[in-house]
Parts: sequence; C-alpha cells; structure tokens
Amino acid sequence: MLDLLPEPLKAWLGPDVTFWLGYFTNGKHIAFFVSVHYTVLAALLGAACALVFGLMGAALWTSRNPWLRWPGAVYVNMVRGVPDVLFFLFFPLAFEQAMEWMRASAVCTPEAAAERAGQWPPCPDANIFFSTYEYLALACVSLGIVYGAFAANVIAGAMRSVPRGQLEAARAFGLSARQVLWRVHLPQMWIYALPGLSNVWMLIIKATSLLSLLQIADIVQLANRLGAPNFSRSAGLVHGDWRWGYYLVLLVFYIGLTFVSERVFAALTRRASRGMAIEGAAR
Amino acid sequence: MKKLMIAATALLMLGGLAQAATVRVATEGAYPPWNYIDDATGKPAGFEIDLAAELCKRAGVECEVVTNAWDSIIPNLVAGNYDAIMAGMSITDERKQTIDFTQNYYPPDPSVYMVRKGTALDFAAISGKNIGVQGGTIQAGYVKENFGAANTVKEYDTADNALADLNAGNVDAILADGGYVRDIIAGSNGALEIIGPDVKIGGGVGVGLRKGDAELGGKLNAAIDAMKKDGSLDALIIKWFPDMAPGPIFAGN
Repeated sequence: MLDLLPEPLKAWLGPDVTFWLGYFTNGKHIAFFVSVHYTVLAALLGAACALVFGLMGAALWTSRNPWLRWPGAVYVNMVRGVPDVLFFLFFPLAFEQAMEWMRASAVCTPEAAAERAGQWPPCPDANIFFSTYEYLALACVSLGIVYGAFAANVIAGAMRSVPRGQLEAARAFGLSARQVLWRVHLPQMWIYALPGLSNVWMLIIKATSLLSLLQIADIVQLANRLGAPNFSRSAGLVHGDWRWGYYLVLLVFYIGLTFVSERVFAALTRRASRGMAIEGAAR
Repeated sequence: MKKLMIAATALLMLGGLAQAATVRVATEGAYPPWNYIDDATGKPAGFEIDLAAELCKRAGVECEVVTNAWDSIIPNLVAGNYDAIMAGMSITDERKQTIDFTQNYYPPDPSVYMVRKGTALDFAAISGKNIGVQGGTIQAGYVKENFGAANTVKEYDTADNALADLNAGNVDAILADGGYVRDIIAGSNGALEIIGPDVKIGGGVGVGLRKGDAELGGKLNAAIDAMKKDGSLDALIIKWFPDMAPGPIFAGN
C-alpha cells in the first residue's frame, strides 16, 4: 500500500510516519478494515430478518384465532428469554445437521451408513461444509429469529396503540377489514413502533460482535488478535500488549454506527409522523 | 417452501461435489512459529503452512489452508468442516480416542515454564501461584493434574492472550511447548525467561485426521517418511526453529 505514495511525500513525512503508515496498511490490517463489512452486512440483513419475523410474530400474536395466537405468544415470550449467544450457537448447528440428515437420506447407501454406525454425518458424502458467507447468512437468520421476537413485541404493542377511533372511522367509510389493516392500521402503527424498533436495532448492532462464534473473522476477533502482544520475530513486528488501542478503535466505530443510526431513525420518525395527530410528532 | 428446501439441498450437493477434490487443512493461526497470520499478507504462514504445501505436493493432492479457533478445532474436524489439522497439535492417547494422527513431523519437545525475568518459583513446593496455559492443550491437562490443587490454573483461548496476561503480571508462569517459548523469549528483549524443569509430555506433533480416513493418512504418512529420509523436513524445522538444539532431528533414523 505504501508504494502508492510518491517519493517526495514519503521524504517529507519522514521514516517514522511512513513506517507506521506502512504498518497500519499491511495485509493484516487491510483484512481488519475489510472485515467491517461482515459486521455491517450482519446488522442490516439481521435487522431485515428481524423485521420480517417481527411482523409475522405480531400478526400471529394479535390474531383472533387461538390456533394462530398461541404459536405467536410462544415465539415472542420464549425466544425473548433465550440468551442470544445460545441461539447463535444452536440454530446454525441444528440447521447444518438437519440439512445433512436430509442429504443423507438421498445420497447414503445402506452399506456406507452401516459402516459409520453411530457417527455423524451418516456417510462422508452427506457432509456439508459451510463457507464464511453461508455462516453469515445463518448468523443473520439467527439474529432475525432472536430479535424478531423483540420486534414482534414492539410491533404488537404499536398495533394496539393506534387509536381505535381511527380504525372505526375507516370501517365507517366502508373500507374492508383488509383495507383497514393495510391502509390505516399498519401505516399508523410505525410512529408508535419506531422508538422501540430503534432499540432493537441497537441491540442487533451489539449482537453482531458474536459473529466470531461462527468462525467468521469479524472486527472484534481481529482486534483481539492484532492487538495481542507479539514477541515472535517470524510473525512480524515485535510489540507489547496493544489490545486497548484496538478496542478503543472499536469503541469509536460502534459509537459512530450508533450516531448514524440515530440520525436515520430521526429521519424515519419525521417521515412516519407526517399527517399524524400525535402530540409533538407533527412538527 | 418445500421447493425452496429441495433447491437449497441440490445447491449444497453440487457445492459438496465441487469441493471434494481439495483437501482442507485447518490451522490456528496464533501459535508462532508453527502457524500465525503474516503481517504483510494477512494470510496464514509459518512452519506448518510451508510443510503442508510440501506434503500436499508430494502426496499429489490439492490443499487449502483454513483457520479455526483452537478450542473447536477437533470438533470441527470430526464434523467434517475440513479434512486435516496441522496446528502444533501433540499426539496424545486422549486425542487418539477422538481422531487419528499421522506419524510425527516434529519430534517430542519438552514443555517449559516461561516467567517474567527475575521471578523465582520453587517447583518442588509451588502453591498459591497463578499458572497460565492455553485451554485444551497437553500443558493445560498437566498443570491442572499436578498443580491444580494448591494453585490457580488460568486457561486462555489463545497463547497470545496467555502471554498478554503474563506481561501484565496477572499470571506468574506459563507452561507451553519449548519451540513456541524459545521463539517468544528470543524476541522479548530480555523481558521473559525460562525457569524450572523441562516437562516431558506429548509424543511429538502430527497431522490430525478424522478417524478411519486411511486414504489421506496413508498419503501423508508416505510424504512425511520421504521428507524425513531426504533431510528436507530437518531443514524446514531448523529454518523455522533456529533455537532448536543442533544435530540431525529425523534424518538418518
């Protein structure tokens, strides 16, 4: 990377500055900077999944049909009580083994399966290897399931907060139940849901630091690795414990992400409150 | 939904077929000079990465090095996420119950204690001390069994983190492989030193394989044999472990 700088600029900067510029742009650090995309992707896709699960969970939970209401209630109340770390470990493993089980029933011959009795996978051909991005997709779905339960709770609450008069007025104008839901109830729900959803989004951002559990080399794991003291001559620059410096960079990164998110949610709130008869919102 | 599942399964099957040709070798990437992440390239490098390239060439297989955290490196081999482990892993009877090993490619190397310069420890009657080890290693098992009752054993996920705590004064000593400790001490500029007795544990370092993977095991064993005979393994060991005692290691045996 340093080779890109013109010679006179290097001479002006001096050997010390060019050395550190070179060190902080070497392959190891480039990998660290690039790994930010795992965190951002996981947060965005995880939030999208959480919103989908949240809407479905809320729709089930607020349904009048008990056969739908009960699964919704179980989802919202049970999943919220499970630590996200546990779900993060459980879901990808269970998914992988379920896929292997399905594949085993298709590709394993009885002889091959008998030979490996009691072992997993049932035969070598049934084995599945997930790449980093497939694990990332599973991580997003895991985040979606866990935080979807929180989102469902927020959305169900917001649905109940829409003034009944609005819905009754819509029915009185001759709108069908479905039209009331899509044209009046859901659009008006957002203004009540947004503060709660912004909370869930912040939780999702923080939960992305769990990515390293799925062998994804994310910023948290790499910061830990790059900052760890190195006394080995073969492994590059010999230095002491620099982890606090790298953690500080992460701290600033996450605060920056939070700051940007707050701006975005403020803009969304302004948009959602257009024409709404809510105190303080219709500015 | 059902169609989607079938499509997904079909895709995964195709993926699995395409991957079948390459042998995936897992390493930790945090145990210099065996394996570490290179500063300049950001990719795994070290003794075992060089050795893996040479062994695969001789065995006539295509290889790819992947990194995996130490604490899950055996479970993920068994689950089939990769085909071999080369991560400074000593051959022990306990591990042999779960996985197979090739013959050793690094000789039995006594473990040693690393301390901050000037620390005095009486190993005959050591008590009330903090001893650091990497979790799930032969050293962790040894220290817990012998010193666990009277001392505190701190287990770390990586050797780096154990070293950080030794530096910070949170542990009194670290027990680790001689080859690793000597490399660290040489680079520490006199801040760390070796004390106490050598601890003779482990049967050398070998390639970890899934149980019953005789085909790959046979190929790798033949390649290691050839490298031992022609002296190229000795040369590679001396290149990466210059602090090793001089003399023939495997050649001529």
